[in-house]
Amino acid sequence: MNTHVTLEFSQPELLDPLLALSAAELDTLEFGVIGIGADTVVRDYNALEAKLAGLSKERVIGHPLFTVVAPCMNNFMVAQRFEDTAAAGQALDLTLDYVLTLRMRPVKVKLRLLAGAGAERRFVLVNRKL
Amino acid sequence: MDVDAQDDLAQEHEALIQFVYMAPAGLVQARSDGEIVMINPVAAQLMMPLSHDGSLSNLFTALEEIAPDLRSRLAAFAASQGMVCDGLHLPAPGGAKGERRLFSFSLIKLDDSRIMAMLQDVTWQARRERLLRHQEVWLHAILTGVTDYALISLDAQGCVTEWNESIGRVTGHGDDVVGRSLAVFYPEDAITPERVQDRLHEAEHSGWSLDDGWRLRADGGRFWGSAMIAPQRALAADNPLAAALAADADAAETGYCLIVRDMSAHRDTTEDARRAAVCDHLTGIGNRRAFFDAAEAELRRWRRLSRPLSLLVIDADHFKTTNDTHGHPVGDAVLRHIAHLMGATFRQIDVVARIGGDEFAVLLPAADLASAQGIAERFRGAVETQPAQTDAGPVRCTVSIGIATMDEATADVDALLKRADEALYAAKHLGRNRVCGPAMSVAEPG
Repeated sequence: MNTHVTLEFSQPELLDPLLALSAAELDTLEFGVIGIGADTVVRDYNALEAKLAGLSKERVIGHPLFTVVAPCMNNFMVAQRFEDTAAAGQALDLTLDYVLTLRMRPVKVKLRLLAGAGAERRFVLVNRKL
Repeated sequence: MDVDAQDDLAQEHEALIQFVYMAPAGLVQARSDGEIVMINPVAAQLMMPLSHDGSLSNLFTALEEIAPDLRSRLAAFAASQGMVCDGLHLPAPGGAKGERRLFSFSLIKLDDSRIMAMLQDVTWQARRERLLRHQEVWLHAILTGVTDYALISLDAQGCVTEWNESIGRVTGHGDDVVGRSLAVFYPEDAITPERVQDRLHEAEHSGWSLDDGWRLRADGGRFWGSAMIAPQRALAADNPLAAALAADADAAETGYCLIVRDMSAHRDTTEDARRAAVCDHLTGIGNRRAFFDAAEAELRRWRRLSRPLSLLVIDADHFKTTNDTHGHPVGDAVLRHIAHLMGATFRQIDVVARIGGDEFAVLLPAADLASAQGIAERFRGAVETQPAQTDAGPVRCTVSIGIATMDEATADVDALLKRADEALYAAKHLGRNRVCGPAMSVAEPG
């Protein structure tokens, strides 16, 4: 049983390899993975993200990311970027410095926003190793 | 603790965390120096676009741009605990899309070492309230008894397009008023050509513009009235009365409608209520709130057109000594005297207010540094040469004046006030009874 995969937070062309992973494989990654659909509803929420945010997958998957799970990203820096690039029919691969409020502690992170042109699936990746 | 109980507790803990994650208001707990201890997602959502260093480690630093005085507000809050500010409205930049937001901010002092803040985006509520006020004004205009009113059509430049009987009745003007600016209905120093354009712009932008004050009749007599300007198409959409009016007008596309109401009969009651809200109880000139309201409006105009705008901060010299030597009633008489001279020196369009115990402020629209210096010097001279008449006989007094002029680098009213205060400090330092501008305060060491 080989479920351990080695994907790096900052490696190029990350979208397709991510899409190929099962939920169990996403859980082995060393960065947080939140996968959402075009409707912003959470499809993937990996183990590391669940642990650091203090929320179990059951509470998160199936709910809209920006209103129920991570309102902190519901501004022009994150949510708007997904909308704008989708509206323009472009792909998105952008890494930015951000602060998440994990268990109400401000934590500096790097966010990587990934979306294919016209793709149904999008990802917010979270890296705390700065 | 057995496993089930532990599990229940963990579940409860998680539910509690999610409760705070989802809370629709920004919540922050911090140390008294502003260092953030806990922060929920909505607070981060609102504050991240404001944070210049990209971190949210300190509440005061993160909000520096929109509320630079939080540290000093907290420092000035003497009680051991309580509400430092409650629902303070903070205009905030809107980020990438550029649309400005309005935040509501509350700060609570929990004890000497901890504070709690609440932040909400109230942009939409504020807009709704404004719409409600708009409707209220209409109801007010229609339902409140007025002595008489004139309905006047204006062209795009604010000039009267045609005469009607109501104009003659209320203002005494004949048809020679056609083609003249609406300024013709104002006393000479109560409006400028720029202000006419401001009012039209405000009417265009927000659907209406209303101001109360003295109005001028053709024979030079004054009456207390209100003037409301609205774009004619907005009126037509909103109100059947105005639609009928707009249908008669030629300038239906770009013109405005001006309603001048003679409020003489109701002046006492409305004016009493207005004065109680915006006037300083001792001197009768504007109070701190009126000053900041008017200053915010002036700065909005400045951002649109960048016309000269200067601020004077005026402080009575040796006021404490006057109080100590002659007693407070005489001190009060001196302040009233200074306020009276301000009323006599400055124009009606200037915003004159008492903003502190012995500190006054005057906002001078359309005045650059040189002309502000001239006006300030004239006022300083007037105070020096005219003693206050008090129960203890004539009391001589002088004032020191600091000047600041609005520029791109000045973020808001507080920043402008701070610069004027620095110039005032220089004037005090150089021996009082003098006027200092920005250059002089820079030149002054220490």
